[in-house]
Amino acid sequence: MSSYDYIKQVLIEKHDVKPDAIKPDATLAELGLDSLSAAELMFDVADKYGIDIPDERANFTTLGDGAALVDELIQTKGA
Amino acid sequence: MLEPASAARRRVFVTGVGLISPHGGEPEEVFERLYAGESAIRKVHSGTTEFGADALLARAECDPAGVIPKTQLLLMDRVSQMAVVAAHRALRAAKLLVEDRGPSTAGVYIGCGLGGSNAIQEAYRSYYERHIRKVKPSTVPLIMTNAPASHISMRYRILGPSLTYSIACSSSAVAIGEAFRAIRDGYLDCALAGGTESMLNDGALVAWDGLGVLAKEHADGAAASSRPFSKDRTGFVLGEGSAAIVLETQEAMRARGAQPIAEVVGYGASSDAHNLTQPAVDGQVRAMRAALADAGLQPERVGYINAHATATPAGDKIEIDAIKQTFGDHARRLAVSATKSMHGHLVGAAGALEFAITVLALNKRRLPPTANLTMPDPECDLDCVPCVGRQAPNLEYALSNSFAFGGSNAVLVARRA
Repeated sequence: MSSYDYIKQVLIEKHDVKPDAIKPDATLAELGLDSLSAAELMFDVADKYGIDIPDERANFTTLGDGAALVDELIQTKGA
Repeated sequence: MLEPASAARRRVFVTGVGLISPHGGEPEEVFERLYAGESAIRKVHSGTTEFGADALLARAECDPAGVIPKTQLLLMDRVSQMAVVAAHRALRAAKLLVEDRGPSTAGVYIGCGLGGSNAIQEAYRSYYERHIRKVKPSTVPLIMTNAPASHISMRYRILGPSLTYSIACSSSAVAIGEAFRAIRDGYLDCALAGGTESMLNDGALVAWDGLGVLAKEHADGAAASSRPFSKDRTGFVLGEGSAAIVLETQEAMRARGAQPIAEVVGYGASSDAHNLTQPAVDGQVRAMRAALADAGLQPERVGYINAHATATPAGDKIEIDAIKQTFGDHARRLAVSATKSMHGHLVGAAGALEFAITVLALNKRRLPPTANLTMPDPECDLDCVPCVGRQAPNLEYALSNSFAFGGSNAVLVARRA
């Protein structure tokens, strides 16, 4: 499963987001997540892939950007 | 002494009760089960970790569906979920839920002992097992002891003071007492008051066990293990749940045509200033006297006391002695029962659940019994309503006692409405 698909799965299962609202250019705020819920989501994703998301990089805006960040950190970790 | 403008005391009534309790969530049903002497105590495996063991517990069921959105559940410990569901039921019972909101000018007064105990355990377990210096971002909001009160205020958009009282076993009696005073003295017209506790996890249980205050399983079965006033009592059984009541002025109640369940007429508090875990007769006497004085009530008019009586060997006798000292000859004419024999000890929610039971007893003029009291301790020689509930047609005033670890005592007085 790609990191984007995993984020999508957590959004649906834990945060009760409607599947068809989830698009690469959607922001977490648009999907109804407040800052604490967004932090919980990124904690789950970081936990899943064993990565550390630095605070200064956690301010991405869209889901697509978030997934790209996660992919990059997974790559860096593997390197 | 100068008296404030608000010195004209207003009468305060209970107009709604909401429960999450070991005997269920419907107050009528909870009362009937207690009246019938039914214990909700069971032996269950506290299997939240591999170190879990069989424990005597009074668990409660809490189904937040339809009350709390799924997205919020993630950010709420069970202790907060229970509080919000109980609050919902109390507001609905009082007919104060309008378009899913509560009365905006009301206050929220909640007692809670340990806060998000389940989240504390989970965070520490995760940290020490995984050796990763990261826990869930929501850990602090889950744990904070005032989260239940805040969640109630947010969920029902109640804009008055949102306060939490954390005073161990007296927490929610104090919460109700302080809410009562705020209304009586003119600071509020309405309050949602009560308590919540949920700590039936291994980490908390092993701590209580270490203190040596928990009951041993009785030969008659797990359900018979909480035995207040009995010769063979061995300690208390921990329970969980939440109890909320709606308090309002007579004017507010009448203006909207609501019916009272009972009237709150007095509240007294004191400190033993003696010992963290050993109760003291003197402090309890002072709290009961303060409550009677607050109500302007002659002791002879009290017909029933819902005792704190946790079934520890030392505690029950001290409370009986305190009742004798407070009431003199009348102590032998009033009824005293310990419903912890059936619902266990809800710690931060105990005072509120027991006050709710007291209020229902006044309303129905029937007294719930002390279960398992087949062999009374000769030193607990008052009328402790052994085993069988009783009609009390002349019951007019009742007390609910709460005496905390830490020596903080709180006594509430209610009157039949």
